[in-house]
Amino acid sequence: MIVVLVTEALVFVLVVAGILAERPRALMLTAVAGAAALAVPAAVPRVRATLARAFDEHRVVALVGGAVGALALPFALRGSPYWTFVATLALLYVTIGQGLNLQIGTAGLINLAGAAFAGIGGYTVGLLTVSAAWPPWLAVMVAPLVAVAVGTVLFVPILKTRGHYLALVTIAFVFIFNVLMNNFEFTGGPQGIKNIPTLTLFGHRFTTAPRLLGVALPAHANFYCACLLVATVTTIITRRLHDSWLGLALNTLRDDEIAARCCGISITRAKITAFCVGNFFIGLGGALYAVMVGFVSPPDFDFGYSLVMLSVIIIGGVDSIPGVVLGACLLVPLPERFRFLHEYRLLLYGLVIVLMLLYRPAGLWPAGVRRYR
Amino acid sequence: MPPLELLLQQALNGLMLGVMYALIAVGFTLFFGVLDVIHFSHGDIYMLGAFAGLTALAAATAAGVGSGVVALAFAFLASILVTGLIGVAAERLCVKPLARASPLMTLLATLSLGLVIREAVLIFYPRGADPKPFPRLLPQGGFEIGGVAVRYENLVILAIGLAAMIAVDLVITRTRMGAAIRAVAQDAEAAQMMGVDLDRTVDATFFIGSGLAAVAGILSGLYYSEIHFIMGITGGVIGFSAAAIGGLGNVYGAILGGLVFGLLQTMAAAFIPRGSEFRDVVAFGVVMLFLIVRPRGILGARTVERV
Amino acid sequence: MSLLETRGLTVRFEGLVALADVDVAVGEGETVGVIGPNGSGKTTLFNALTGLYRPAGGDIVFRGTSVAGVEPHLIARLGMARTFQSSRLCLQLSVFDNVLAGMIAARRTGVLEAVVWRDRARAEMREALARATHLLGLFNPDLPARGWERVGRLPQIDRRRVEICRALAAAPALLLLDEPSAGMSPEETRELMKDLQIVRDERPGLSIVIIEHDMFVIEGVSARVIALNYGRKIAEGSFAAVVAHPLVREAYLGQERTHA
Repeated sequence: MIVVLVTEALVFVLVVAGILAERPRALMLTAVAGAAALAVPAAVPRVRATLARAFDEHRVVALVGGAVGALALPFALRGSPYWTFVATLALLYVTIGQGLNLQIGTAGLINLAGAAFAGIGGYTVGLLTVSAAWPPWLAVMVAPLVAVAVGTVLFVPILKTRGHYLALVTIAFVFIFNVLMNNFEFTGGPQGIKNIPTLTLFGHRFTTAPRLLGVALPAHANFYCACLLVATVTTIITRRLHDSWLGLALNTLRDDEIAARCCGISITRAKITAFCVGNFFIGLGGALYAVMVGFVSPPDFDFGYSLVMLSVIIIGGVDSIPGVVLGACLLVPLPERFRFLHEYRLLLYGLVIVLMLLYRPAGLWPAGVRRYR
Repeated sequence: MPPLELLLQQALNGLMLGVMYALIAVGFTLFFGVLDVIHFSHGDIYMLGAFAGLTALAAATAAGVGSGVVALAFAFLASILVTGLIGVAAERLCVKPLARASPLMTLLATLSLGLVIREAVLIFYPRGADPKPFPRLLPQGGFEIGGVAVRYENLVILAIGLAAMIAVDLVITRTRMGAAIRAVAQDAEAAQMMGVDLDRTVDATFFIGSGLAAVAGILSGLYYSEIHFIMGITGGVIGFSAAAIGGLGNVYGAILGGLVFGLLQTMAAAFIPRGSEFRDVVAFGVVMLFLIVRPRGILGARTVERV
Repeated sequence: MSLLETRGLTVRFEGLVALADVDVAVGEGETVGVIGPNGSGKTTLFNALTGLYRPAGGDIVFRGTSVAGVEPHLIARLGMARTFQSSRLCLQLSVFDNVLAGMIAARRTGVLEAVVWRDRARAEMREALARATHLLGLFNPDLPARGWERVGRLPQIDRRRVEICRALAAAPALLLLDEPSAGMSPEETRELMKDLQIVRDERPGLSIVIIEHDMFVIEGVSARVIALNYGRKIAEGSFAAVVAHPLVREAYLGQERTHA
């Protein structure tokens, strides 16, 4: 149990130091420590095995520790509203990633329109709150359902076609979505929808800086907590689905559709379920983004973002629930940290994905064997 | 019902665009035939071809041969060569190693490779983010036949495009390498047992496909008088859609699909209110519907999976 | 009434006739062997029975219901299970995962129980894992211990067993085995025959149709043999009668030349 707690504390310190370190000496120290922390378990199987066993035996402690760390993060980052925002964005990508992973990783459905479904979530919130004066909470809850509805209409007809046709249809959809949002007046055209109201909880507006446990936190901490909750629930739900009959059915039809059909699995039902549940979470991510940032516009949801969502899954680990969390937590903050590389960001994204696929296709945290807990 | 002259006018435009799309589509369909992969970075190869052509023209200008047929010919040859080689390199590094893995892997890898190519041009080409003007090398002006205005540049583009397609058709149907490509497309294992060198055949296929895309890139530059580093995204999606409509794996289908797409786009832009903004929507919408109703394409063969 | 009956079953592939006018009947508890040279339509027959191919003509009646043209997963749920010539297991999934796949169709808990009312889902899973353990253990007592390993790491004979367990897990009334001894050495084939006996002992009422090239296996397990050639049934009867049949001999050995 000590092992688990010490490891988690170490990770926490490294993450915070990595984010906040400014002076060259501190930066170097953190970089070296971070590299060592990654390299040692990767290179020394004994260490990896010990860690794996410890975390396996004390799962509850590990999860509680992780929760404490996640809740403590905004306190550690209270000096930087910017980084609190980035951390919240990472949590949004966890939510979106779990949904997309259910489709791509678990079910093998190639959905390249993640950005469009997130956009549907975001735009629905914008339209409902600004044009129809709906309360933001309600809009955020309804928006994912709209994403699901659109996805169903789009998808049911092409269920029978081969994988790359689905890919093409989803790509076409992203482009169409972008053009439509750009050209319809009611969606605000290229300007998008502005002044989306923020969430309020018991009278506390999420744009007001909160005071928790006597500490003043930046305003973004409100959304951090909300998104942390959503990301956690999303991860729990997708994890339970993955370890259930549905997850098994999806894996089977992903790996061998003919065998799945001859086992009595209804391919149509399973695929629709995966697609709809996935789109719900993707739309939810987009919806939360809308209330958090306060406006949505077409460039926020273009094809490039579909690729970013995709890279979260590939780098983290296809069909791997913890992998998605890792992928989002790495891929969102790292480019921000290496600001001087900002220009090269997408180039590096692309290179890393290609290299991962060539040399480590299972991802950084590969999916383990299903355990039916 | 719009007047006949207008229809023919737009049809001519559509055909010309369609020829450019067909050149990209043929690449997609060839790659699918030999390796059973969708090479998503092919659109960015098309963009590379355009930039390579631009660079070649700049070099020609610097050497004092800036205009006319010589410069153009040089640009085409240089671009085809360079782009073809880059296409082969991409295939060897990134496509072939993953061709055995699941289609998802190849798709993601080629998508990412396209991103890398795109960003490389953005970053490393001087002021890559701006659209680059392309020299006006085509004869200006035109003539009229029965109320239809025919521009010389349309004809030249059509002619060059058709020439390229005929050249490829000759290679595929009349040369040994072409026979090898067709053999591998039908059954790679059997072809190998007949003595076909799989690696060289795949290399040749990628060279040809990328070379065609280079031609399309330069034609696009000549027509629009500018090129932009993001032209490969739409170009690639259109090329893939065209190949899919025509039937993946069938070269004539790809040509047909390209022409259909070009006509669709032009007709939509001309005859639907606010058409020019929505022309991509219409075209992609039709593609989506097509894939839903007849996924194997117009000329595609029904594939039966071995059980 | 037979468990399975085909009448005039015909399957065509764009001009090529793969099965022509085939009449087959399988009774309850019967084991029927299917033999024939390569390309005679044996696997096509299985694919038509399981719904992967739509018949061009004729009918298939399974448990009193006509299933020609019905979706494969519905036919499977009626009680037909099969194995494949090139064993179609999900190699990256665990042994248990693969066997449990056969039980998905009969599951009683769904998404809601998986996410919210987990006790019911967990109970059903425990029961499923117990059944899988039992099935695997019948064939090889070491298999259940390797249940959490990826199937791809097992030797071929154990993989065949996992595939048979997956088929049995569905509690079928009819089991179709497509060349289970393909690629096996003689010792492995003997093991396979013991496995088939285990299947019969475990499920006495189960009807089995087995395609095989290995005549020892066919002779050892079949009560009745059907021979196919060029998509047509050319002989039917006991093993001895079928192998002596002139058309069957011709199919395998060619026509006898009359000495001039």
